Amino acid sequence: MRRPWKNRSQAEVKEAICGYISISPWLFGFVILTFIPILSTIYYSFTRWTIMDAPVWIGMENYVRMFTNDPLFYQAIKATGLYVAMSLPIVIVFGVLLSLLLNMKIKGMNFYRTLFYIPAVISGVSIAMLWTWLLQPDVGIVNTLLALVGIEGPKWFWDPKWALPSVASMSLWKVGGSAVIYLAGLQNIPPQLYEAAKIDGAGKVRTFFTITLPLLTPTLFFQLIIQMIEAFKVFTEAFVITKGGPLKATYFYLLYFYEEGFQHFNTGYASALILVLVVVIMSMTMLVNYTSNRWVYYEGDEKAK
Amino acid sequence: MKRETRKIVMALAILLCMSTFLFAAGQKETVATDAKKAEVVTLEWWTWNSEEYDEAVQRSLVKEFEASHPNIKINMTLLPTKGFETKMTTALGAGVGGPDVAFFSISSWFPKALDLGPYIERDTFDTGMYYEGFWDTKTQFNGTTIGLPLGVGASLVMYNKDLFDAAGVAYPTSDWTTQEYLEIAKKVANPAKKIWGCEILTRPFRAIWYNYGPNARLYSMDSTTVDGYLNSPESLSAYGWFYDLMRSGATPSVSDMSTLSTENTGPIDLFMADRLAMATLNQGHMLDAVRAGKNFGVVREPGVGNNQRHVNAWSMLVSIWEGTKHPEEAWTFLKWYVGPEGQKFLMDNGNLFPSIETVAVQYKDADKDYVKGFLEILNDKQVAIWRGSHPSGTKVEATIKDLWDMIKLGTIKKSEIKRELDKLVPRAQETLDEAKKTLLY
Amino acid sequence: MKTQTQTISAVIRKHKIRQVRKSILTHMFMITLTLIFLVPIFWMLSTALKTRWEIFVWPTTWIPKVLHWENFSDAFTRVPMLRFMGNTLFIIVVKIIGELLAVPLIAYGFARLRFPGKKVLFLLVISTMMIPLQTKLIPLFTMYVKLGLNDTYWPLILPAFTGTPFFIFLLIQYMKTLPRDLDDAAKIDGVGTFGILYRILLPLCIPALTIIVTYTFLWTWNEFLQPLIYLSTYEKFTIQLGLEMFKGIWSVEWNLLMAATLATMLPVLLMYFFAQKKLIGGIASVGLKG
Repeated sequence: MRRPWKNRSQAEVKEAICGYISISPWLFGFVILTFIPILSTIYYSFTRWTIMDAPVWIGMENYVRMFTNDPLFYQAIKATGLYVAMSLPIVIVFGVLLSLLLNMKIKGMNFYRTLFYIPAVISGVSIAMLWTWLLQPDVGIVNTLLALVGIEGPKWFWDPKWALPSVASMSLWKVGGSAVIYLAGLQNIPPQLYEAAKIDGAGKVRTFFTITLPLLTPTLFFQLIIQMIEAFKVFTEAFVITKGGPLKATYFYLLYFYEEGFQHFNTGYASALILVLVVVIMSMTMLVNYTSNRWVYYEGDEKAK
Repeated sequence: MKRETRKIVMALAILLCMSTFLFAAGQKETVATDAKKAEVVTLEWWTWNSEEYDEAVQRSLVKEFEASHPNIKINMTLLPTKGFETKMTTALGAGVGGPDVAFFSISSWFPKALDLGPYIERDTFDTGMYYEGFWDTKTQFNGTTIGLPLGVGASLVMYNKDLFDAAGVAYPTSDWTTQEYLEIAKKVANPAKKIWGCEILTRPFRAIWYNYGPNARLYSMDSTTVDGYLNSPESLSAYGWFYDLMRSGATPSVSDMSTLSTENTGPIDLFMADRLAMATLNQGHMLDAVRAGKNFGVVREPGVGNNQRHVNAWSMLVSIWEGTKHPEEAWTFLKWYVGPEGQKFLMDNGNLFPSIETVAVQYKDADKDYVKGFLEILNDKQVAIWRGSHPSGTKVEATIKDLWDMIKLGTIKKSEIKRELDKLVPRAQETLDEAKKTLLY
Repeated sequence: MKTQTQTISAVIRKHKIRQVRKSILTHMFMITLTLIFLVPIFWMLSTALKTRWEIFVWPTTWIPKVLHWENFSDAFTRVPMLRFMGNTLFIIVVKIIGELLAVPLIAYGFARLRFPGKKVLFLLVISTMMIPLQTKLIPLFTMYVKLGLNDTYWPLILPAFTGTPFFIFLLIQYMKTLPRDLDDAAKIDGVGTFGILYRILLPLCIPALTIIVTYTFLWTWNEFLQPLIYLSTYEKFTIQLGLEMFKGIWSVEWNLLMAATLATMLPVLLMYFFAQKKLIGGIASVGLKG
């Protein structure tokens, strides 16, 4: 196992000290900007608090109610869980595909890259509005096109069955932003490897799976975690377009939190809700992290030594 | 590499200089005025924009006030509507960094308002000048007076005279019923041209519900019982009426309402685009229509039989934050701003409908139809005591939202509504009981 | 001999044709995608050029009869958008400096150095991204007011100097792909621990750093909640606050809002367009020394 510290070499101690110096800005920020607020949130989760009055300690009551007497809680979990399951594959797969497309050396690619980045530039609320118009059942573009082919399009956001997939498909719009990050990762793959593969006679698909993908795994790992966290925090689409409906189909967790905390002023309960979400996200992240040893390949990691 | 780094540093440096200059230019003003303020008191006033009082008018108001009160300066902060509530909640909840004077539009903030009783008494401020209904329902909290009511507002039905003429339908009269509303809507609608008779109501338990009878409320007047009110026969009638409305084809579809009706402001855009023959809007929208030269009329919301008629009416509560460091000066500003002087100023230079009767009669367009119609509507019994004034209202209403959606989407039969209402009673009751634990009244 | 040359030139010609075909197909595909992406933008422009009550008329017009270009100048006079843009730009530049100072340092520690508790601390870095901003609002606001930093830009700038977790994570991943040989070689040459960071590794991280700059720009540009809470002098407001001002309590001025939104999108796009070169071109030579 680990050797006790007094046995470690001077070089190792020096490295550890340098390590702490390195991360000190973050550590400072974490304590002040995150840790202390989180402590308050934990405290408030055990109280009844309307923000305007002093908090009243009620112990586990919020948590008990959440798990035993709150159908909205389970609806919110279901909606959010389904959303994550639907949107995550879309974002990852299409992000990678788009980045491959944008990586091609074709004239005017700079222009295209900027173009696909545009949606990331428009703030969430504007995007939500634009999609509302796109998916408008009667005159929206999508249904108009479908009608041309003879299909009567569903009512998208206003159909309880289709609302969630519609919101999930909105994540396609944001794909440009993550493609940028994959692009950076792609740049890091030594071109010599591609040349070697070509000489060996490997086709495009084979090259992708044996060279590009493995060397892209660090970026994939990053994106998986980031997109997963973001997916759990889905909010704007529900807030602006569906308002959690119809019939609670898109009643996402953060929407529930927002309503409880900022509209009904049940801030104690809302704090409890948030903590549960953080625990869930953290567990999923740790899961991904632990399995990452199997599938992520770093060229410069210490394990390679 | 080095040359590139240098280029980047240069670019950043130039950007930094440019923006520092822009930023500093902004700062200069504040610094200069800071020096002047050394011997005067500066008040923080948080407000928003409205058709009735826009930025320009409010800034002029500040100048007018400062001219007659040289020892007080007002720092007016315009806030976006959506942000106003979040910012206030944060500041009031934190207990620091709040405004001196602001709209207290959310009842949950009331505990943080300064009790004006002592000041009113000391200065013998005549609170009787305000319309009685608003004084009672808007400014009182737990036996204290927490603010002054600015202006009056109310929901009303605006109708497009051109569309009515085109369809050959007579204009609504003020004694019209909900049935007539339905008939008229169907007649004026012209689906081929995407013209609709009326909009989809956003929620139940507003004026029209109350017109169905005294038990057509969400819960009892003393806020204890849901059963017998939410699911009362009168309430059921109202829901039935709404059901018929949704099936009549006179309204836009649910998706149309979301995409074409904007940001919870009411379907004003559709109305102004001549696509809604009638719409439930308010006095602010009325001003929009007047400015655009629209040929329209106003009438109160339809009633039921000979029942007492109601109106959703309100007045904007302006209060002083209890954490203010300058209560005296804040009071001086408040009683000027929401008193006769300020409201007259806003009425003459802006479009405020004052909440003070003696000022209101001096309204310059008092002879116009729309003004007369609006003032007449205010005579009905106010529903404002109910929603928005009572903190539990929103919470309990949230529990019945699904039924509303079901009727809108048509996933429920009319005969099933009673059953659904009964089903909702226990949950609503539970929420009400829970909310009363933090009840502020 | 003759047949050989014929065959060779035939092969070359076929190859060229295939190239051209591939290029045309790709362009067609890109153009189609472009149009799809551009449609909403075009709608925004169309709305920006209409009069206020013309927007929701039916049948909907894509090109209004009269192009009201004055909406753009009206938008900028109604709300001091230029001032707000300058404010936001200032905040962005300072934040970029902050991030570029803090993030490489922090990422280096996690990516290359060994110290006790690293795994746990790394998890903490990621976990901060899970917490929605609203939960931290009131405690943070209280703290800043007590420190007298209310109504200043400090609450907006300070987090950048402590490193944004997203960027830290990004740079850690990026650094981990750089081979350790570089470090070792530098050590042999007598370069100190932090020298390795600044002289060897960082120059190779330009694409990741460009992402940090781009995203800082983008996110600060789009930020609404924090400037709303911390600023209370109108003249100090930022862009998103300005855009929200077009939404009154009873109605929204869509045409002006669209005009202002489009106008404020331009600098970001321009910035991104130029940043691309650093991002993509100039292949970062992942120093494969001999």
